[in-house]
Amino acid sequence: MVTLFQPKKTSPRLDRLHELSLFVNLTPAELEIVDGLLHERIYLEGEVIFDEGDEGQAIYIIASGEVLISRQDQGAHVDGHDPAASLPRRRQGDTGRVAQLGPGTFFGELALLDNSSRSAQARAASPCKLIVFFRDDFVGLLDTHARIASKISRQLACHLGARMRTLASSMSVNQRLV
Amino acid sequence: MSASSIKAARPHAEHPGSGPVVWAAIIAGTCLLLLVFQKVLWLVVPFLLALILYYFLYPPVRALIYRGMSRDAAASLVTLAFLVLLGIVGVALMPRLTSQATQWQDTVDRYVQGGTQLLDASLRSLERHSPPLARAHLADTVAARLTQSTGSIADHLEPVALGIMAWTPSLLLAPFLAFFFLRDGRRFKRFLGAAVPNAFFERSLFLLHEIDRTARAYFQGLINLTILDTVTLAAGLWLLGIPGPLALGLICAVLAWVPYVGSILGGLLVVLVAATDFPADPTMAYWAIGLFGLVRLLDDFLYMPMTIGKSLELHPLITVLMIFAGGAVAGIPGLMLVLPVLGVVMVIGETIGLIVTDPRLMARHRHAKALRRIQASADL
Repeated sequence: MVTLFQPKKTSPRLDRLHELSLFVNLTPAELEIVDGLLHERIYLEGEVIFDEGDEGQAIYIIASGEVLISRQDQGAHVDGHDPAASLPRRRQGDTGRVAQLGPGTFFGELALLDNSSRSAQARAASPCKLIVFFRDDFVGLLDTHARIASKISRQLACHLGARMRTLASSMSVNQRLV
Repeated sequence: MSASSIKAARPHAEHPGSGPVVWAAIIAGTCLLLLVFQKVLWLVVPFLLALILYYFLYPPVRALIYRGMSRDAAASLVTLAFLVLLGIVGVALMPRLTSQATQWQDTVDRYVQGGTQLLDASLRSLERHSPPLARAHLADTVAARLTQSTGSIADHLEPVALGIMAWTPSLLLAPFLAFFFLRDGRRFKRFLGAAVPNAFFERSLFLLHEIDRTARAYFQGLINLTILDTVTLAAGLWLLGIPGPLALGLICAVLAWVPYVGSILGGLLVVLVAATDFPADPTMAYWAIGLFGLVRLLDDFLYMPMTIGKSLELHPLITVLMIFAGGAVAGIPGLMLVLPVLGVVMVIGETIGLIVTDPRLMARHRHAKALRRIQASADL
């Protein structure tokens, strides 16, 4: 019985999960719990992962490959054009580009927190493998394994804080330029 | 999970509710499934029991995994502990059951006789107060018909016992199925998820989660409802002084799993016991009827909304109509299965309706297919 509760041996899969920034603080036993909730998806270059305006159900973690995050050209709405008209321009990557993310990073994280719509489109910039963590599984984790959920929430808060700082500094640079 | 919470979490909740075509498909799909389930009842019943067992045993398995045990070991240990517990209870009860087995037929006859006497006394009392009933000789007619029926009940005891023996191997499947659900459930969920195209993945994931949550809430609600019903009935019967209150309460609570019919059978059982054990005091049977009525009211207006009502909040009209339809299509199994099956088919039907009527999702799926086709034929 004692051996049954020995510290969990890690597997290559759990090691890979541990390297992801969202799960970096989790122990092997905690990773095992989280691993049971994760899904893997393969996307081809150019394939849409989710659209701007979709209701977010999950957070995506990039295991390999790159993902382009882009927004529709706000001007198109103002001019009264059909929003779909901006899609070809966005597809070329020259308009509305927000970021290009690589392995280990995650996106769509706001979906873990609320039911709000996706604020940007995510598209595979190269063939990529994504790990998907569904919001309801995360909410379930808050109820059943609050310690694990709090560790993930902390990483999420750190990530959002860093993004806010980046945004604030870029806004102050813009103001100085103006 | 309540319907309101389903709606709150449902993707694209701003969409209007499902139209008549989707609902017709949901009802037709439910009836069709019930028809199929009736044909493979030998598999459906252990499967259903295994699901109940799975949701009952899942919390300890999860707790063991969290303490560092592997999923396989946790599932094995918890299932084994359950089987050992079941074995201990069986061994403890076996001598008592075998000693009483020979008296079962006499006991059933005695209780049926007691119920018949109570009914006869009640009808004759009515006849004394109502001349039209007396002229119709209602008590004599009912007594004559009941005498024929009671004879047939005794005759049917042997086939019932044989039926239980025939079902036992099938029911023994339940713990083994539950073990595999506990051990491989997440693999099955991943397997299903992997079969869904990327464009529909988030919606389908939501669908899988909703089905799991609906089923879990339903079966856990059913377990809680059974416990509440058992405790309330046992307390009431104990206060009335009726023998074996806990066993009677449990039997009635389990019978109540079958909507309407089960409750009537449970009520009849309590009245038979009260009428037989207190032949000189017919008011005891009336008290038992009153108690049963009170528990049904508590059940419908307090316990049910607290437990199962949280999992499946269907419109009352649809609930009643579907229970009748389930009974007509698949008999007693249909009555038992219709609500959980309808709950699952409703989630599937509404989600598929949302997916196929979303032009953007369909366009994304076509685009992904085209990309895969190009990739597959790149170097040809």
